[in-house]
Amino acid sequence: MAMSVRVRLGSQFRNIMRVCFHENRHMSTAEIVVEKSENPKEPERISLEEQQRLNDIAKNERMEKLLNMRFAYQEFLPDPNPKNRNTLKERLERRDMLARRSNVEIPEFYVGSLVAVMHSDPHAPGKNNRFMGICIQKIGAGLRASFILRNFIDGEGVEINFDMYDPTIQRIDVIRLEKRLDEELFYLRDAPPEYSTFPVDMEPEYQPEGSAVPVNEIKVPLKPLPWLVKWERMGMKGIRDVTSMLTEKRLRMSKLKQFNKPWEKYDLLKMYSETIPIEDQVEIFSEIQEKLHELEQHRYKMKRSRNFVKPTKMG
Amino acid sequence: MTTLLKVLYGFNPLKSFLTPKPDFLEITCRSKHRILPKPKKRFPPWLIKSTRSTRYEDELTSENKTFLKQLVQEKYPRPESGYGSYSPLNLNIVESAVEWSPSYQRAGLIARKIGVYPMWMKDGRKVLTTLFQVADNHVIKYQPPETYKPMITKRKTSLPPSKGSLIIGADSADPQLFTKEYCGLFEESGVMPKRLLARFHVSPEAALQPGTPLLASHFKVGQYVDIRGKTINRGFQGVMKRWGFHGMPASHGVTKTHRRPGNIGSGGKKARVMPGTKMPGHMGNRYRVLKAQRIVRINTKYNVLWVLGSASPGECNSCVQIFDTVLPLKNCNYLKQTPYFPTYYPGRDEELPEELMVDDLHNFNDPTIMFTEDEE
Amino acid sequence: MNLPMLCMQSRGLSTSSALSQVIRLTRLRVVDNSEIGKQAMAEGKPPYVFHVYNKMGVGYIGDRVMVAIKGEKKKGILVGLKQNQKKKVPKFDTNNLVLIEDNGSPIGTRIHVPIPHILRTLMKEKTHSKGADYTKLIAIASRFI
Repeated sequence: MAMSVRVRLGSQFRNIMRVCFHENRHMSTAEIVVEKSENPKEPERISLEEQQRLNDIAKNERMEKLLNMRFAYQEFLPDPNPKNRNTLKERLERRDMLARRSNVEIPEFYVGSLVAVMHSDPHAPGKNNRFMGICIQKIGAGLRASFILRNFIDGEGVEINFDMYDPTIQRIDVIRLEKRLDEELFYLRDAPPEYSTFPVDMEPEYQPEGSAVPVNEIKVPLKPLPWLVKWERMGMKGIRDVTSMLTEKRLRMSKLKQFNKPWEKYDLLKMYSETIPIEDQVEIFSEIQEKLHELEQHRYKMKRSRNFVKPTKMG
Repeated sequence: MTTLLKVLYGFNPLKSFLTPKPDFLEITCRSKHRILPKPKKRFPPWLIKSTRSTRYEDELTSENKTFLKQLVQEKYPRPESGYGSYSPLNLNIVESAVEWSPSYQRAGLIARKIGVYPMWMKDGRKVLTTLFQVADNHVIKYQPPETYKPMITKRKTSLPPSKGSLIIGADSADPQLFTKEYCGLFEESGVMPKRLLARFHVSPEAALQPGTPLLASHFKVGQYVDIRGKTINRGFQGVMKRWGFHGMPASHGVTKTHRRPGNIGSGGKKARVMPGTKMPGHMGNRYRVLKAQRIVRINTKYNVLWVLGSASPGECNSCVQIFDTVLPLKNCNYLKQTPYFPTYYPGRDEELPEELMVDDLHNFNDPTIMFTEDEE
Repeated sequence: MNLPMLCMQSRGLSTSSALSQVIRLTRLRVVDNSEIGKQAMAEGKPPYVFHVYNKMGVGYIGDRVMVAIKGEKKKGILVGLKQNQKKKVPKFDTNNLVLIEDNGSPIGTRIHVPIPHILRTLMKEKTHSKGADYTKLIAIASRFI
């Protein structure tokens, strides 16, 4: 019989996301070794070789900065399936995405972050609607990128799927920026309600600029059986130990070899065909970097000017 | 005996008449009325072989290579201010001054399907659009109805004699890739040899001079077009995939017939399989026309068409032919549109912006869509 | 642990369908405060569908269904579904039902779970001047999302 809930694994993007959250692995089979620059302050006679080396380091650093954009701007990487790839189409799509980004701020957020979306809704009385919740999935490349928010409202679990580049979205606010241990949090459906309950009118939490995105290492307990998915086989990190809940047979089954795929981490070709090569990534991100930086600067200025106009009362 | 025949054949003075004429431009659809065309076992004798079987790259010195490159550049220089590639024979394109009339049939375009992505309408609806790139289209040859005689062996032609044949080529390539005979096809138009050729039936009024470039703005936004292309080749498939049969139960004593068609004929008087019965066989890899698809956006810089819907034949990066729709309730006449006739000439017709969009499509440069209370 | 769950576990199979569709014999959750609905839910005998008023036989959001509840047959409207929805339409953890009379007015006086905004439009579309009036259902909802 079919599994109770078909978890859309989205094999192509899943791999990217998995790689995104494992810093030790890169997006391509080729490894980049980035050396740390030491910044020698004393003016020394620098030989040609030394200069070459420093140049290389600077270049590597620039490269690393560029490639790190794959975490925040993951949807700019195209569908890795070579059958669907076309340079012109990808460029046009990126142009459309940047055009949309110049009209609405699409902030950086990850699976596990608390996000509020304000969107125009023709069915709502005020023609506007707001939903806030925890992001349990981020999927899709290009204009197809979408994410799912989950929250408990009036004792009822609610999930809404949004398109990231939907022009009816007026504002996306990140209430709390953090990551979780897994790239998909569908197990929250089988967890007690308090683990996905968040007050709708939560104040945004600000973090100091330039700090790394914190990882919430919470382990979620699951409700007693039955579950929607056989979580014991999924190898999720954010689930508390469930062996005590399982029957002996199910436990035995979960340890069976047929569900383990130990060869997958050595399958270079699979990895290569399901990811975007580094050279392509550098090309893509160097193309969009300038525009994104410009937008960011503009927003920063606007934010500061707004703060100046409306000072908040202290005390 | 065979040797004798061979010798006789060698001395045959009528040999030139017996061998088929290699005139590629007179070919018509070979499999128009057949549902399943027979597979061709060998290269058709009337078709000019386009690509060379061997290329003597190793025997060329670097100087020779640069010389050849230079020669190609001299013969087919890049256009300076114009559009498309440059034709030395046709410096002044003769623009036809006939007014458009609904009975006239215009030329079509050869385009490459480059992908599918979503766009949004102004009412917030999400739609899928297919992108077609019109790659370097030029008119290669025109045959008026009087001289145009399609080579049809068995059947009478269903074409009205009023239509001429217009050959259009796309995707320019280095002439060194092709055979001498194939390059000879492009002498009249003077354009670079093209990888792709297609024939369109046009009214004599809509005929175009060889060498005329065709752009994506040949069509207008909001116009409906037909898209003809080769469907994805899926190989030999069973009835479940090919015709959508339901198959048979997985259990309840069923053995060995889970994906089979079951009964294919009846007994009694007509104890035979009726013609046209849906059976397993080769699926895909044949030409299909998707009719009346709406063009919602055009990029005149990259020559890209955005067409509503995602069901056009062929896989990504395959080539299709796009032409004005044949459906009477979707054509230009019915929708009160006036197309560029016979095609869009940049000098004659009005200058177009880079992006053209239909009114009900959301432009990503526009601000967020807001609904108002009285809109209901 | 009850018997069906034991059977399920021993055979290692799941009894819920892959698409979470509302079809015949699907158990629903009554989310209004009607007496019969409250009793049925409290007894652990939620109503089940035995007819869906559309041509597919699968109930979608805003569809009318006939349910068997506490030995009676009642009509109801699906106000929240477990199956995957279109973009921007909420998906719920349970299949929610509001019981109605034949004339379309709800039996209860309050709905205690959130209701999707799209239901306003759907209910308005289904209401005809001479037929049943479903807009009263919207009036008793406590919260929309």
